[in-house]
Amino acid sequence: MYTELNSILNTTPDSFTKGEFILVSDRQSDASFLVHHFLSLYLRARCRVLFLGLVQSFNHYSAISQRMGVSLAQAKEKGQLVFLEGLNESLSVLIPQETDTGSQAMDFLRDPSVGLKSLYEFVRSSLSSTGEGREGADDTEEWGPPVVLVDDLTVLDFSHYCRATVCSQLQGNVVMLTRCDGEEEEEDEGDDEGPERLLKGLTHQCSLTLHVRGLPYWLLHFLRDVIEVQVEVRWRRRQADGQYTQNKLFQYKVHDKGASFFARGTSSAVL
Amino acid sequence: MLTELLQGTDAGGFLLIQDSTGYCGRHLLKSFIGAALNREEVVHVLHFEVSEEELTDGLKGSHIQRLHFHNAYTDPLGWTDHPAFTVHQFTLEELAHRVKQTSHSKPVTLVIDSLSWVLRHQSPPAVCNTLQQLRKGGAVRAIIGLLHADMHQRGTVGSVCHLATSVITVAPGMKGDEAVAKLTKRSKSGKVMQDEEVFSIKEDLTVMVQSRPSHVGGRQNDAEEQETDPTANLTFNLRLSDTEREAKEKLALPFVFSREKKTALLHSGPGSGRILYEPDANDDYDQEDPDDDLDV
Repeated sequence: MYTELNSILNTTPDSFTKGEFILVSDRQSDASFLVHHFLSLYLRARCRVLFLGLVQSFNHYSAISQRMGVSLAQAKEKGQLVFLEGLNESLSVLIPQETDTGSQAMDFLRDPSVGLKSLYEFVRSSLSSTGEGREGADDTEEWGPPVVLVDDLTVLDFSHYCRATVCSQLQGNVVMLTRCDGEEEEEDEGDDEGPERLLKGLTHQCSLTLHVRGLPYWLLHFLRDVIEVQVEVRWRRRQADGQYTQNKLFQYKVHDKGASFFARGTSSAVL
Repeated sequence: MLTELLQGTDAGGFLLIQDSTGYCGRHLLKSFIGAALNREEVVHVLHFEVSEEELTDGLKGSHIQRLHFHNAYTDPLGWTDHPAFTVHQFTLEELAHRVKQTSHSKPVTLVIDSLSWVLRHQSPPAVCNTLQQLRKGGAVRAIIGLLHADMHQRGTVGSVCHLATSVITVAPGMKGDEAVAKLTKRSKSGKVMQDEEVFSIKEDLTVMVQSRPSHVGGRQNDAEEQETDPTANLTFNLRLSDTEREAKEKLALPFVFSREKKTALLHSGPGSGRILYEPDANDDYDQEDPDDDLDV
């Protein structure tokens, strides 16, 4: 959890906006540090967290969270965290074993025509089971609103269902990471499901976007050791006081145990 | 023209609000819903993208009983057991049936939020066909649709735009809550009107049209001119006193052809000179008109 980012986003573990759909995207850069940030933030905020980690193993996330002061293993034991390890699951789908008790969540790998319905059902069932089943078993802990974090899986329909269920019905939050490769194209006349259009569609759905972008090439040469990239924060509030979009641009540097954010061009190393 | 459109869409009209990631057109859509409710119309909303609570948020309570929701938000693809409305039900028969269920004698306005959802799951020709039949078939009086234009291919957006009688393209404005609307309206006679307006939407969803963007620049200049008076520190006099004006009016200007001037020129006095020309025998006199080749 980066306290600096919290103050930018005006959130703390004690008070954060509920029912938000947060889109984290990156281009020629890596925004996964933001996923770690949100993961530790919501765990500290005592939310029930469902993490769909599809690109890395549990150990990877666990090691990073440990450095940020949150124990994933503990949270998992307490039933606060449900972790879907996409790599393991997909392996068991592709190479089925007899002892396999794997869930149906990754069924779309075997049969693409099924779509992500099964994964959505997994989300729904695990949210309801952690809510009710656990509380009956050992009600020493009571968790806040549910949060779904998705590391790099972006399908518009799936994200829509997550938003409808988690944000609207359960008043929880959804965080999604998506990646776009390559340059920003002004007009791509590709098919409707191209990555650019996907990002635009997600942007239409979400209430907050964090877009991490690589620095321009000429700057990279000078600032490689100073700044990593810049992050664009954009709110699309849907409130009664009217349409309100706000943009902020920051540059940041990730350290061992935190990250520092500053307005463009105001890094102490540059000045 | 935006206020004009808000005041009423013609029967059989199809109004399309186009937006992009930069500015969300949903608030304008809600203003249109509010305006239709104020006109005592029955409004059916087919909502895919936001929940019912979000849509009713801001609309006044008294008219809400004339607002009917068809929930396609919670389960648009039929992934759960009891979908309320799925995207595959977006057909003429189904929509006409649903609209008729709450049948009133009053005209029905159908609001679709948004067409992008339908276009992603059905072929554009099928969607266009359904829309056109709904409009012409008399099942609904008017259709108001929202479309995220940057999510589709240009051809798809174009073909939906061709169906619409009015197209409003919204984009972010210069200041905080301002937005720019590009309006195209096709009247039944075939006349096409285009306009561009700056607007903002207040809390109670009323639309404030500020001005046309082309006029915004002009106004700013006016304000600047008022601040600095260019005639303040002149080295010459701009105004005339009465005597000066009299003297000015008496003076005959050189290019004014008065009677005296005319006679003085025509009847030259005895002392004036004349030019006499006697052709010499050796003179090389050209018979042809030297200006013959000129096109005069």
